[in-house]
Amino acid sequence: MTNETPAASSYKSPHWDIFCVVVDNYGDIGVTWRLAKQLAAEYQIEINLWVDDLNSFSHILPELDKTLSQQQFFGVNIFKWNKPLDIPYRPGSVLIEAFACELPSQVLSTIDELHQESKTNFEQSINTASKPPVWLNLEYLSAEDWVDGCHGLPSMQASGINKHFYFPGFTSKSGGLICESDLFNQRDKWQSSPSNKLALFKKLGLIGIEANDIVISVFSYETLALTALCNYWANIEVQNNSEQTAIHALIPLGKSLASIESLISTPLNKIKAGQQFTVGNLTIHILPMTAQTQFDRLLWSCDFNIVRGEDSFLRAQWAAKPFIWHIYPQEDDYHLVKLQAFVNIYCLNLEDDAANAWSKTNFAFNQQESNVVEHWQQLICAQSALQQHAKHWPIDAKKDADLASRLVEFVKTS
Amino acid sequence: MKTAHELRPGNVIMLDGSPWVVQKTETTRSGRNAAIVKMKLKNVLQDSTTETTFKGEDKMEDIILERLACTYSYYADPMYVFMDAEYNQYDVEADNLGDAGAYIVDGMEEECSVTFYEGKAISVELPVTIVREVTYTEPAARGDTSGKVMKPATITGGGTVTVAEFVKIGDKIEIDTRTNEFKKRV
Repeated sequence: MTNETPAASSYKSPHWDIFCVVVDNYGDIGVTWRLAKQLAAEYQIEINLWVDDLNSFSHILPELDKTLSQQQFFGVNIFKWNKPLDIPYRPGSVLIEAFACELPSQVLSTIDELHQESKTNFEQSINTASKPPVWLNLEYLSAEDWVDGCHGLPSMQASGINKHFYFPGFTSKSGGLICESDLFNQRDKWQSSPSNKLALFKKLGLIGIEANDIVISVFSYETLALTALCNYWANIEVQNNSEQTAIHALIPLGKSLASIESLISTPLNKIKAGQQFTVGNLTIHILPMTAQTQFDRLLWSCDFNIVRGEDSFLRAQWAAKPFIWHIYPQEDDYHLVKLQAFVNIYCLNLEDDAANAWSKTNFAFNQQESNVVEHWQQLICAQSALQQHAKHWPIDAKKDADLASRLVEFVKTS
Repeated sequence: MKTAHELRPGNVIMLDGSPWVVQKTETTRSGRNAAIVKMKLKNVLQDSTTETTFKGEDKMEDIILERLACTYSYYADPMYVFMDAEYNQYDVEADNLGDAGAYIVDGMEEECSVTFYEGKAISVELPVTIVREVTYTEPAARGDTSGKVMKPATITGGGTVTVAEFVKIGDKIEIDTRTNEFKKRV
């Protein structure tokens, strides 16, 4: 392989390039991988996905060979993005930098070259097909008001080439939300038969879950609120002195586990996927990492999901089940502003008691408050309204267009 | 070079071979603490404006044009008139003031920096901090003194600033003109 890039325009093809830097294990790659798959499958676009960390990627795509620099899955070309880039960049019709990642210098110089070429040809009235790709910065999802005002705006670079900021969001003026066209049908079909969830739990090696047990998936960052909730779930039977439905918490290896180390009395480095620990009424199952399709089914199968970041946050909404969102912590508690913005839109059509309990539980969880338990108890009282709302929410949130379709339209008009 | 985050109304930057005056900046936070700066820019050569977005750490070439320290003198529709130490007067179009316009009030004593391009005053840069009186704001609802609960307030000149809930009508407040953020009560 060489990093020499011959005359840019001679390589121009209609494919799209998506560049992704893995920062937080599964979030960035989770979003870009879903988008790449959807664009390839539903819009027949040739996608080149450049990823700098195949090891993290392999957790959500187990078939991936971490040693290969190029491979293809689900019609998506996956390239290992080494720094400096050692696979020649061939400009396509669209160039996406995911989450404002810094593009390789070879890519930047190639599109600058194309831009200058196209400008010169325009000035000299020469007809040419050479023009730089539509350049987009795919941003983070937020429910804040400012998103609508920033979505789609150009960002003029020093050379004069425009990059556009593409903001996912919950309104018709935003870039929309990633959602595959058949996802809701698949989910409904899955949830229509209780045997599906039990079969999945069995397949994942989760032993002892009965059809009527309460199953909660936990994919959060570290928080004392999780410690408090697990303690509460473990002691429910003792507190109530009556027969109680068993609770199962499904937790993958990683950050969530650190919050409950004291509860399971086992050092974190000794814990392996497939193990389970019973503490009073609570059984903690250590989940293996799963591919995205399986993760979706897991969310569909649980009674409640605790999710984090962006990708699992959105998938929990599509699961039509109640959830807690553990948002990525930011400086000056700015994440709470983002949480409040989402709470505001999520609770708009939710009855007051349920909205109040759901909002307080989410804030307590994110602020590591032990009184999360009191709010959780309120939440359980409002379970029926919350469950109904969780079923309607995906339809309201997706509205008439998902992110991929809005993105394709945006590119057409750019 | 300045980062997009450091730019403020009145600065002039070079993009694609043209000078652009920064008329308005609005900083927000995206994921993982990353700043997003939305700007209104005016092309000095073409007299056209555009709205644009930058990453906070994007670097821009800010160009140093001729500048003069001036104070605001009076408004002669549609021009704001500024005066230098030698009593020379310079007209600045209201449109070219951008966000700074909200802080221009009769009798203001703060020294501003007027920027010229080919002899024409094209923008006005305010001091980084400026003190203005609150002319209207709702009373504090819950007596919050932490400064974390915020509310809108109208200041002298008619502009609006988001202030801490404890701020009252008549209070003088310090504002960061780069971000239009309330800093403290003075």
